[in-house]
Amino acid sequence: MNGTGQDEITAYVEGVRAALAGLPEATRDELLEDLPEHLAEVRAEGNGTLTERLGATAAYAAELRSTAGFVGGFPDPPPGRFVRLRESRDKGLRLLNRADMRVGPVIGYAKASDFLILLRPAWWALRGYLAAMAIAYLLASNRGGQGLLPRVGGSLVVALVLLAGCVILSILLGRRGARLAAWPRYALWSGTALLALFAFAGFVSADRDARSSGYSDVSSYEVNPYGSVRDVFVYDSQGRLVTGARLFDQDGSPIHLGDSYPVSCTDPGTGEATPSRSLGYPFCPQNAPFDTGRAGSFPSASPSRSVAADPGSSATPASPSVSPSVSASVSRSAVAGK
Amino acid sequence: MHSTVRCVDTTQLLKGVLDLAVLAALRDEDGYGYDILRRLRAAGIDDVGDASVYGTLRRLFNGGFLNTYVVPSDEGPHRKYYGLNAAGRAELHRSGKIWHGFASTMDDLLRERGTA
Repeated sequence: MNGTGQDEITAYVEGVRAALAGLPEATRDELLEDLPEHLAEVRAEGNGTLTERLGATAAYAAELRSTAGFVGGFPDPPPGRFVRLRESRDKGLRLLNRADMRVGPVIGYAKASDFLILLRPAWWALRGYLAAMAIAYLLASNRGGQGLLPRVGGSLVVALVLLAGCVILSILLGRRGARLAAWPRYALWSGTALLALFAFAGFVSADRDARSSGYSDVSSYEVNPYGSVRDVFVYDSQGRLVTGARLFDQDGSPIHLGDSYPVSCTDPGTGEATPSRSLGYPFCPQNAPFDTGRAGSFPSASPSRSVAADPGSSATPASPSVSPSVSASVSRSAVAGK
Repeated sequence: MHSTVRCVDTTQLLKGVLDLAVLAALRDEDGYGYDILRRLRAAGIDDVGDASVYGTLRRLFNGGFLNTYVVPSDEGPHRKYYGLNAAGRAELHRSGKIWHGFASTMDDLLRERGTA
């Protein structure tokens, strides 16, 4: 081939390329990939310039475009898309291969995949466990209450049988995987991928549960400790029950404890319920926990209720645990003196 | 094609069967682009252009129906030969049957109407 022939081909290809300017760059490059070689073949046979024999570049481009873009008389695979997909897949595989070779020596193997292949039976066993857990999860009525064993209906025996069955099946499938036909193999792969997703979700959920254990105990402190209070009894320093008492906080806001109005009082003797007539605390004075008429039953200022509840302890007022303050001993003697 | 009433346009017909025509041209013998164009023209398909053959070959090759190899030449440029692979032969067989069915249907239709 002489130089002018090559120039003519280059010029013709450029002309066609310019006429195909409307096409995406990749499509155009793909269309024109073999054109120089093809034109060289054409030029080698017969006489005349390319333009004389093939027509103007614009016409050639239009014909090429209509032919290449036209899907023929039978459904052929779309050329561009699959080719590009395959190319990117090959590229990814090459990168993976390189990473395989690089990482291998770090962990003491020729290739990282050598190590992973050794781990394969362990993965089969784990996969069996995950499958059993997935089955138990799907069968469970209470989705949140899954433990570490694949219990069905809370039964340990069923859990162990299911676990053993799934692990054995998974190992069998793993050993036979490479010999399966295409479709069962794809089904196995997609099932495994789903299982991996399920396992990941389960793992994250288990992690969250593990980290938040004890959180519920903390939250119980936030519950109002006076929630169970139904009535309030105020005793003065003499141990007498104060009636019609009002409670206020440091800002002068009234404190409401116990039942809201209207309150009914149950007579401790008869069990008869009557509506409360009291406008302050206590609502039901007849239900006072400490009978001020009885010596020693009032707890006084002592912080220890158990001691106060024991009438015998009042016989030893010198006991330090019983009388931590002067007022307490005074009240006791006052009560006792009644 | 809306402005002119031309019921049969060879160029349009050819578009529909160009793939089949190229596959058929390669049935007995592998060939390179210009060679295939010559075979089609020799067979009587005069309207086919070089760009159509080139584009069709590329598309069939990308579709997986052809294999290709380069044959060096002493006097001229290297030539890129195309040949049918198994998928190409299967497609030629399948499309050929469709064509025969379609052609005989058209034949029958034309004969019934007394135009043939």
